[in-house]
Amino acid sequence: MLDETFNELAELALRQSGQLIPQSKTYLMEARLGAIARREGFGSLDDLAHCLRERPNPVFEAEVAAALLSKDTRFFRERETTETLILSVLPARLKQTSNGKLRIWCAGGASGQEAYSIAMRIDEVGGSLKSARIDILSTDLCKSVTERARKGAFGHFEVQRGLSIQRLLNYFQRQETGDWQISDELRASISFRQHNLIDDSSGLGKFDVILCRHVLSGMDTVARRSVIERMVSQLLPGGVVMLGEDETLAGVTDALEPSMAYRGGWVLSGTAEREAAA
Amino acid sequence: MKQCLIVDDSRVVRKVASRIVKDLKFDVIEASDGAEALDYCRDTMPDAVLLDWNMPVMNGLDFLRALRRESEGDKPIVVFCSTENDAEHIGEAVRFGANEFIMKPFDADIIESKFAEVGLL
Repeated sequence: MLDETFNELAELALRQSGQLIPQSKTYLMEARLGAIARREGFGSLDDLAHCLRERPNPVFEAEVAAALLSKDTRFFRERETTETLILSVLPARLKQTSNGKLRIWCAGGASGQEAYSIAMRIDEVGGSLKSARIDILSTDLCKSVTERARKGAFGHFEVQRGLSIQRLLNYFQRQETGDWQISDELRASISFRQHNLIDDSSGLGKFDVILCRHVLSGMDTVARRSVIERMVSQLLPGGVVMLGEDETLAGVTDALEPSMAYRGGWVLSGTAEREAAA
Repeated sequence: MKQCLIVDDSRVVRKVASRIVKDLKFDVIEASDGAEALDYCRDTMPDAVLLDWNMPVMNGLDFLRALRRESEGDKPIVVFCSTENDAEHIGEAVRFGANEFIMKPFDADIIESKFAEVGLL
Protein backbone atom coordinates (compact mmCIF):
# COMPACT_ATOMS: atom_id res chain seq x y z
CA MET A 1 0.00 0.00 0.00
CA LEU A 2 1.28 3.47 -0.88
CA ASP A 3 1.97 5.82 2.04
CA GLU A 4 -0.40 8.23 0.40
CA THR A 5 -3.18 5.61 0.48
CA PHE A 6 -2.61 4.91 4.15
CA ASN A 7 -2.68 8.63 4.97
CA GLU A 8 -5.85 9.25 3.04
CA LEU A 9 -7.73 6.30 4.51
CA ALA A 10 -6.50 7.09 8.04
CA GLU A 11 -7.63 10.68 7.58
CA LEU A 12 -11.03 9.50 6.35
CA ALA A 13 -11.44 7.22 9.40
CA LEU A 14 -10.54 10.02 11.78
CA ARG A 15 -12.90 12.48 10.11
CA GLN A 16 -15.83 10.08 9.81
CA SER A 17 -15.71 8.15 13.08
CA GLY A 18 -12.89 9.54 15.20
CA GLN A 19 -11.00 6.27 14.80
CA LEU A 20 -7.23 6.57 15.15
CA ILE A 21 -5.32 4.09 12.99
CA PRO A 22 -1.58 4.10 13.63
CA GLN A 23 0.79 3.34 10.75
CA SER A 24 1.77 0.13 12.54
CA LYS A 25 -1.75 -1.17 11.87
CA THR A 26 -1.68 -0.93 8.08
CA TYR A 27 -2.58 -4.63 8.04
CA LEU A 28 -5.93 -3.77 9.69
CA MET A 29 -6.82 -1.63 6.71
CA GLU A 30 -5.97 -4.41 4.30
CA ALA A 31 -7.99 -6.93 6.32
CA ARG A 32 -11.06 -4.79 6.91
CA LEU A 33 -11.34 -3.17 3.48
CA GLY A 34 -10.50 -6.28 1.45
CA ALA A 35 -14.13 -7.32 0.98
CA ILE A 36 -15.32 -3.86 -0.11
CA ALA A 37 -12.40 -3.42 -2.51
CA ARG A 38 -13.13 -6.80 -4.12
CA ARG A 39 -16.86 -6.10 -4.34
CA GLU A 40 -16.25 -2.79 -6.06
CA GLY A 41 -13.73 -4.34 -8.40
CA PHE A 42 -10.65 -2.47 -7.15
CA GLY A 43 -7.40 -4.34 -7.67
CA SER A 44 -5.87 -2.75 -4.57
CA LEU A 45 -6.55 -0.27 -1.79
CA ASP A 46 -4.46 2.21 -3.77
CA ASP A 47 -7.12 2.05 -6.52
CA LEU A 48 -9.88 2.42 -3.94
CA ALA A 49 -8.22 5.49 -2.40
CA HIS A 50 -7.65 6.94 -5.86
CA CYS A 51 -11.36 6.59 -6.66
CA LEU A 52 -12.37 8.21 -3.35
CA ARG A 53 -10.07 11.11 -4.16
CA GLU A 54 -11.17 11.59 -7.77
CA ARG A 55 -14.87 10.99 -7.30
CA PRO A 56 -15.84 11.92 -3.73
CA ASN A 57 -18.92 9.95 -2.65
CA PRO A 58 -20.25 10.50 0.90
CA VAL A 59 -22.13 7.19 0.99
CA PHE A 60 -19.08 5.19 -0.02
CA GLU A 61 -16.87 7.16 2.38
CA ALA A 62 -19.21 6.35 5.27
CA GLU A 63 -19.20 2.69 4.28
CA VAL A 64 -15.40 2.58 4.17
CA ALA A 65 -15.15 4.27 7.57
CA ALA A 66 -17.64 1.81 9.07
CA ALA A 67 -15.77 -1.15 7.61
CA LEU A 68 -12.55 0.07 9.19
CA LEU A 69 -13.98 -0.21 12.73
CA SER A 70 -13.57 -3.33 14.83
CA LYS A 71 -16.63 -5.59 14.77
CA ASP A 72 -15.28 -7.82 17.49
CA THR A 73 -17.97 -8.74 19.98
CA ARG A 74 -19.36 -11.78 21.70
CA PHE A 75 -22.27 -12.79 23.89
CA PHE A 76 -21.70 -12.11 27.60
CA ARG A 77 -18.39 -10.41 27.01
CA GLU A 78 -16.92 -9.31 30.36
CA ARG A 79 -19.56 -10.90 32.51
CA GLU A 80 -18.69 -8.97 35.63
CA THR A 81 -19.84 -5.74 34.01
CA THR A 82 -23.06 -7.35 32.82
CA GLU A 83 -23.68 -8.80 36.29
CA THR A 84 -23.03 -5.43 37.94
CA LEU A 85 -25.52 -3.88 35.56
CA ILE A 86 -28.20 -6.53 36.10
CA LEU A 87 -27.82 -7.20 39.82
CA SER A 88 -26.82 -3.76 41.14
CA VAL A 89 -27.25 -0.81 38.78
CA LEU A 90 -30.67 -1.61 37.33
CA PRO A 91 -32.35 -2.59 40.64
CA ALA A 92 -31.01 0.58 42.28
CA ARG A 93 -32.20 2.78 39.39
CA LEU A 94 -35.55 1.07 39.43
CA LYS A 95 -36.06 2.02 43.07
CA GLN A 96 -35.32 5.65 42.19
CA THR A 97 -37.82 5.86 39.35
CA SER A 98 -41.47 6.50 39.91
CA ASN A 99 -42.78 5.07 36.64
CA GLY A 100 -40.94 1.72 36.53
CA LYS A 101 -39.26 2.66 33.25
CA LEU A 102 -35.55 2.40 32.52
CA ARG A 103 -33.57 3.11 29.38
CA ILE A 104 -30.24 1.50 28.48
CA TRP A 105 -28.04 2.55 25.58
CA CYS A 106 -25.47 0.17 24.14
CA ALA A 107 -23.27 2.69 22.32
CA GLY A 108 -21.24 0.98 19.64
CA GLY A 109 -23.30 -2.19 20.05
CA ALA A 110 -22.11 -3.81 16.80
CA SER A 111 -24.10 -6.91 15.83
CA GLY A 112 -26.20 -6.82 18.98
CA GLN A 113 -24.65 -9.46 21.23
CA GLU A 114 -24.27 -7.01 24.11
CA ALA A 115 -27.90 -5.88 23.98
CA TYR A 116 -29.23 -9.42 23.54
CA SER A 117 -27.09 -10.64 26.47
CA ILE A 118 -28.62 -7.96 28.69
CA ALA A 119 -32.13 -8.89 27.54
CA MET A 120 -31.45 -12.57 28.29
CA ARG A 121 -30.18 -11.79 31.78
CA ILE A 122 -33.19 -9.59 32.54
CA ASP A 123 -35.44 -12.46 31.48
CA GLU A 124 -33.49 -14.95 33.61
CA VAL A 125 -33.39 -12.79 36.71
CA GLY A 126 -37.09 -12.05 36.35
CA GLY A 127 -38.89 -10.44 39.28
CA SER A 128 -39.13 -6.68 39.35
CA LEU A 129 -36.60 -6.32 36.51
CA LYS A 130 -38.75 -8.32 34.16
CA SER A 131 -41.95 -6.56 35.10
CA ALA A 132 -40.29 -3.15 34.71
CA ARG A 133 -40.34 -1.49 31.31
CA ILE A 134 -36.71 -1.63 30.31
CA ASP A 135 -35.95 -0.25 26.87
CA ILE A 136 -32.63 -1.16 25.35
CA LEU A 137 -31.24 0.84 22.45
CA SER A 138 -28.24 -0.50 20.57
CA THR A 139 -26.53 1.79 18.09
CA ASP A 140 -23.68 1.28 15.71
CA LEU A 141 -22.05 3.38 13.05
CA CYS A 142 -22.19 0.58 10.53
CA LYS A 143 -25.46 0.21 8.63
CA SER A 144 -25.10 -3.42 7.60
CA VAL A 145 -24.07 -4.48 11.11
CA THR A 146 -27.10 -2.66 12.55
CA GLU A 147 -29.40 -4.44 10.13
CA ARG A 148 -27.89 -7.77 11.09
CA ALA A 149 -28.32 -6.98 14.77
CA ARG A 150 -31.97 -6.09 14.23
CA LYS A 151 -32.57 -9.36 12.43
CA GLY A 152 -31.14 -11.31 15.37
CA ALA A 153 -29.81 -14.23 13.35
CA PHE A 154 -26.39 -15.45 14.39
CA GLY A 155 -23.97 -17.88 12.80
CA HIS A 156 -22.48 -21.17 13.94
CA PHE A 157 -19.37 -19.57 15.40
CA GLU A 158 -21.10 -16.52 16.90
CA VAL A 159 -23.54 -18.57 19.00
CA GLN A 160 -20.65 -20.59 20.38
CA ARG A 161 -18.72 -17.62 21.65
CA GLY A 162 -19.85 -16.74 25.16
CA LEU A 163 -23.25 -18.38 24.95
CA SER A 164 -24.05 -21.45 27.07
CA ILE A 165 -25.89 -24.32 25.41
CA GLN A 166 -28.81 -23.82 27.78
CA ARG A 167 -29.20 -20.22 26.67
CA LEU A 168 -28.94 -21.27 23.03
CA LEU A 169 -31.78 -23.75 23.56
CA ASN A 170 -33.87 -21.30 25.60
CA TYR A 171 -33.66 -18.26 23.37
CA PHE A 172 -32.75 -19.36 19.84
CA GLN A 173 -34.23 -21.43 17.05
CA ARG A 174 -32.16 -23.08 14.38
CA GLN A 175 -32.99 -21.99 10.85
CA GLU A 176 -32.71 -24.05 7.70
CA THR A 177 -29.77 -21.87 6.71
CA GLY A 178 -27.91 -23.14 9.78
CA ASP A 179 -28.15 -19.74 11.48
CA TRP A 180 -29.73 -19.42 14.90
CA GLN A 181 -32.62 -16.96 15.24
CA ILE A 182 -33.09 -15.21 18.56
CA SER A 183 -36.63 -15.17 19.96
CA ASP A 184 -39.15 -12.48 18.96
CA GLU A 185 -39.67 -11.67 22.64
CA LEU A 186 -36.04 -10.66 23.11
CA ARG A 187 -35.97 -8.83 19.79
CA ALA A 188 -39.01 -6.82 20.84
CA SER A 189 -37.23 -5.49 23.92
CA ILE A 190 -34.42 -3.89 21.90
CA SER A 191 -34.32 -1.13 19.28
CA PHE A 192 -31.45 -0.96 16.85
CA ARG A 193 -30.38 2.23 15.18
CA GLN A 194 -27.54 3.34 12.99
CA HIS A 195 -25.82 6.22 14.74
CA ASN A 196 -22.42 7.85 14.71
CA LEU A 197 -21.24 8.54 18.28
CA ILE A 198 -19.46 11.72 17.24
CA ASP A 199 -22.74 13.19 15.98
CA ASP A 200 -25.39 14.95 18.07
CA SER A 201 -27.14 12.30 20.15
CA SER A 202 -30.01 14.36 21.56
CA GLY A 203 -32.48 12.60 19.25
CA LEU A 204 -31.87 9.35 21.12
CA GLY A 205 -33.33 10.70 24.36
CA LYS A 206 -32.04 10.30 27.90
CA PHE A 207 -30.71 7.17 29.52
CA ASP A 208 -30.33 5.61 32.94
CA VAL A 209 -27.35 3.57 31.80
CA ILE A 210 -24.98 4.05 28.86
CA LEU A 211 -22.69 1.16 28.02
CA CYS A 212 -19.75 2.15 25.90
CA ARG A 213 -17.32 -0.74 25.97
CA HIS A 214 -14.14 -0.92 23.93
CA VAL A 215 -15.24 1.87 21.66
CA LEU A 216 -13.43 4.93 23.00
CA SER A 217 -10.02 3.26 23.17
CA GLY A 218 -9.76 3.19 19.38
CA MET A 219 -10.49 6.91 19.04
CA ASP A 220 -8.23 9.92 19.06
CA THR A 221 -8.39 12.29 22.05
CA VAL A 222 -10.52 14.93 20.37
CA ALA A 223 -13.16 12.40 19.24
CA ARG A 224 -13.13 10.67 22.62
CA ARG A 225 -13.82 13.97 24.38
CA SER A 226 -16.65 14.90 22.08
CA VAL A 227 -18.27 11.45 22.32
CA ILE A 228 -18.14 11.62 26.12
CA GLU A 229 -19.60 15.12 26.12
CA ARG A 230 -22.49 13.92 23.99
CA MET A 231 -23.07 10.97 26.31
CA VAL A 232 -23.01 13.17 29.38
CA SER A 233 -25.81 15.26 27.88
CA GLN A 234 -27.90 12.11 27.35
CA LEU A 235 -27.37 10.81 30.87
CA LEU A 236 -30.27 11.17 33.32
CA PRO A 237 -29.40 12.56 36.76
CA GLY A 238 -28.07 9.64 38.80
CA GLY A 239 -27.36 7.67 35.63
CA VAL A 240 -24.27 5.53 35.06
CA VAL A 241 -21.82 5.19 32.16
CA MET A 242 -20.18 1.78 31.99
CA LEU A 243 -16.92 1.20 30.11
CA GLY A 244 -15.01 -1.92 29.12
CA GLU A 245 -12.61 -3.57 31.54
CA ASP A 246 -9.35 -1.64 31.82
CA GLU A 247 -10.84 1.43 30.17
CA THR A 248 -10.76 4.77 31.93
CA LEU A 249 -11.96 8.32 31.47
CA ALA A 250 -9.22 9.74 33.64
CA GLY A 251 -7.63 12.58 31.70
CA VAL A 252 -10.41 12.51 29.11
CA THR A 253 -13.21 14.35 30.87
CA ASP A 254 -13.94 16.23 34.08
CA ALA A 255 -17.66 15.78 33.67
CA LEU A 256 -17.66 12.19 34.96
CA GLU A 257 -15.97 10.55 37.93
CA PRO A 258 -15.57 6.89 38.94
CA SER A 259 -18.64 5.52 40.69
CA MET A 260 -18.04 4.46 44.27
CA ALA A 261 -20.94 2.04 44.13
CA TYR A 262 -20.29 0.22 40.87
CA ARG A 263 -17.00 -1.13 39.61
CA GLY A 264 -16.31 0.12 36.10
CA GLY A 265 -19.11 2.68 36.37
CA TRP A 266 -18.78 6.45 35.88
CA VAL A 267 -21.22 9.03 37.21
CA LEU A 268 -21.64 12.79 36.91
CA SER A 269 -18.86 14.58 38.78
CA GLY A 270 -19.71 15.54 42.33
CA THR A 271 -22.33 12.79 42.71
CA ALA A 272 -20.29 9.63 43.40
CA GLU A 273 -20.31 10.08 47.17
CA ARG A 274 -24.00 10.77 47.34
CA GLU A 275 -24.65 7.79 45.07
CA ALA A 276 -22.60 5.45 47.28
CA ALA A 277 -24.46 6.58 50.38
CA ALA A 278 -27.87 6.07 48.79
CA MET B 1 -3.05 -30.41 36.17
CA LYS B 2 -6.63 -31.15 35.15
CA GLN B 3 -7.21 -34.13 32.95
CA CYS B 4 -9.33 -34.17 29.80
CA LEU B 5 -10.41 -37.31 27.98
CA ILE B 6 -11.00 -36.74 24.27
CA VAL B 7 -13.32 -39.32 22.73
CA ASP B 8 -13.67 -39.35 18.93
CA ASP B 9 -13.31 -42.01 16.28
CA SER B 10 -11.54 -39.60 13.95
CA ARG B 11 -7.82 -39.46 14.58
CA VAL B 12 -7.68 -36.03 12.92
CA VAL B 13 -10.36 -34.56 15.19
CA ARG B 14 -8.63 -36.05 18.24
CA LYS B 15 -5.37 -34.52 17.16
CA VAL B 16 -6.83 -31.05 16.57
CA ALA B 17 -8.87 -31.08 19.80
CA SER B 18 -5.94 -32.46 21.73
CA ARG B 19 -3.68 -29.60 20.70
CA ILE B 20 -6.28 -27.00 21.64
CA VAL B 21 -7.04 -28.59 25.02
CA LYS B 22 -3.33 -28.97 25.82
CA ASP B 23 -2.92 -25.24 25.18
CA LEU B 24 -5.57 -24.69 27.84
CA LYS B 25 -3.21 -26.48 30.25
CA PHE B 26 -4.92 -29.86 30.41
CA ASP B 27 -3.38 -33.27 30.54
CA VAL B 28 -4.93 -35.09 27.56
CA ILE B 29 -5.91 -38.73 27.09
CA GLU B 30 -7.51 -40.01 23.90
CA ALA B 31 -10.05 -42.75 23.25
CA SER B 32 -11.50 -43.77 19.87
CA ASP B 33 -14.94 -44.93 21.03
CA GLY B 34 -17.26 -44.93 24.03
CA ALA B 35 -16.26 -48.40 25.26
CA GLU B 36 -12.59 -47.49 25.36
CA ALA B 37 -13.46 -44.23 27.13
CA LEU B 38 -15.60 -46.04 29.70
CA ASP B 39 -12.75 -48.46 30.45
CA TYR B 40 -10.49 -45.52 31.09
CA CYS B 41 -13.01 -43.77 33.35
CA ARG B 42 -13.52 -46.92 35.45
CA ASP B 43 -9.83 -46.73 36.19
CA THR B 44 -9.38 -42.94 36.49
CA MET B 45 -12.16 -40.39 36.40
CA PRO B 46 -11.00 -37.43 34.29
CA ASP B 47 -12.00 -33.85 35.14
CA ALA B 48 -13.44 -33.30 31.68
CA VAL B 49 -14.62 -35.36 28.71
CA LEU B 50 -14.85 -33.95 25.18
CA LEU B 51 -17.27 -36.37 23.57
CA ASP B 52 -18.19 -37.16 19.97
CA TRP B 53 -21.67 -38.52 19.24
CA ASN B 54 -21.42 -40.99 16.36
CA MET B 55 -18.77 -43.61 16.99
CA PRO B 56 -18.49 -47.36 16.36
CA VAL B 57 -18.70 -49.91 19.25
CA MET B 58 -20.30 -47.46 21.70
CA ASN B 59 -21.62 -44.03 20.73
CA GLY B 60 -21.34 -40.87 22.78
CA LEU B 61 -24.85 -40.93 24.19
CA ASP B 62 -24.56 -44.55 25.38
CA PHE B 63 -21.19 -43.73 26.91
CA LEU B 64 -22.65 -40.73 28.72
CA ARG B 65 -25.54 -42.76 30.10
CA ALA B 66 -23.15 -45.49 31.30
CA LEU B 67 -20.70 -42.96 32.75
CA ARG B 68 -23.33 -41.21 34.83
CA ARG B 69 -24.26 -44.58 36.39
CA GLU B 70 -20.70 -45.30 37.53
CA SER B 71 -19.68 -44.40 41.03
CA GLU B 72 -18.06 -40.93 40.83
CA GLY B 73 -19.46 -40.85 37.29
CA ASP B 74 -21.19 -37.56 38.01
CA LYS B 75 -17.83 -35.88 38.58
CA PRO B 76 -16.48 -35.37 35.05
CA ILE B 77 -17.73 -32.36 33.17
CA VAL B 78 -18.91 -33.68 29.82
CA VAL B 79 -18.79 -31.46 26.77
CA PHE B 80 -20.50 -33.04 23.80
CA CYS B 81 -18.93 -32.27 20.46
CA SER B 82 -20.98 -33.28 17.47
CA THR B 83 -22.22 -32.57 13.97
CA GLU B 84 -25.75 -33.38 15.21
CA ASN B 85 -26.50 -29.68 15.53
CA ASP B 86 -30.27 -29.44 15.78
CA ALA B 87 -32.09 -28.47 18.95
CA GLU B 88 -33.56 -31.98 19.42
CA HIS B 89 -30.16 -33.68 19.50
CA ILE B 90 -28.65 -30.99 21.68
CA GLY B 91 -31.59 -31.19 24.09
CA GLU B 92 -31.27 -34.97 24.26
CA ALA B 93 -27.57 -34.74 25.11
CA VAL B 94 -28.30 -32.21 27.85
CA ARG B 95 -31.07 -34.43 29.30
CA PHE B 96 -28.64 -37.33 29.40
CA GLY B 97 -26.28 -35.29 31.53
CA ALA B 98 -24.03 -33.37 29.14
CA ASN B 99 -22.84 -30.11 30.73
CA GLU B 100 -22.14 -28.34 27.47
CA PHE B 101 -22.43 -28.89 23.75
CA ILE B 102 -20.06 -27.88 20.99
CA MET B 103 -21.36 -27.93 17.44
CA LYS B 104 -18.80 -29.11 14.91
CA PRO B 105 -16.87 -27.63 13.26
CA PHE B 106 -15.14 -25.99 16.20
CA ASP B 107 -12.04 -23.87 16.71
CA ALA B 108 -9.84 -23.03 19.69
CA ASP B 109 -11.99 -20.04 20.58
CA ILE B 110 -15.14 -22.16 20.86
CA ILE B 111 -13.50 -24.81 23.03
CA GLU B 112 -12.08 -22.13 25.29
CA SER B 113 -15.45 -20.36 25.53
CA LYS B 114 -17.32 -23.58 26.32
CA PHE B 115 -14.76 -24.77 28.87
CA ALA B 116 -15.01 -21.38 30.58
CA GLU B 117 -18.80 -21.66 30.53
CA VAL B 118 -18.70 -24.84 32.67
CA GLY B 119 -15.99 -23.57 34.99
CA LEU B 120 -13.13 -25.71 33.68
CA LEU B 121 -10.86 -22.69 33.18
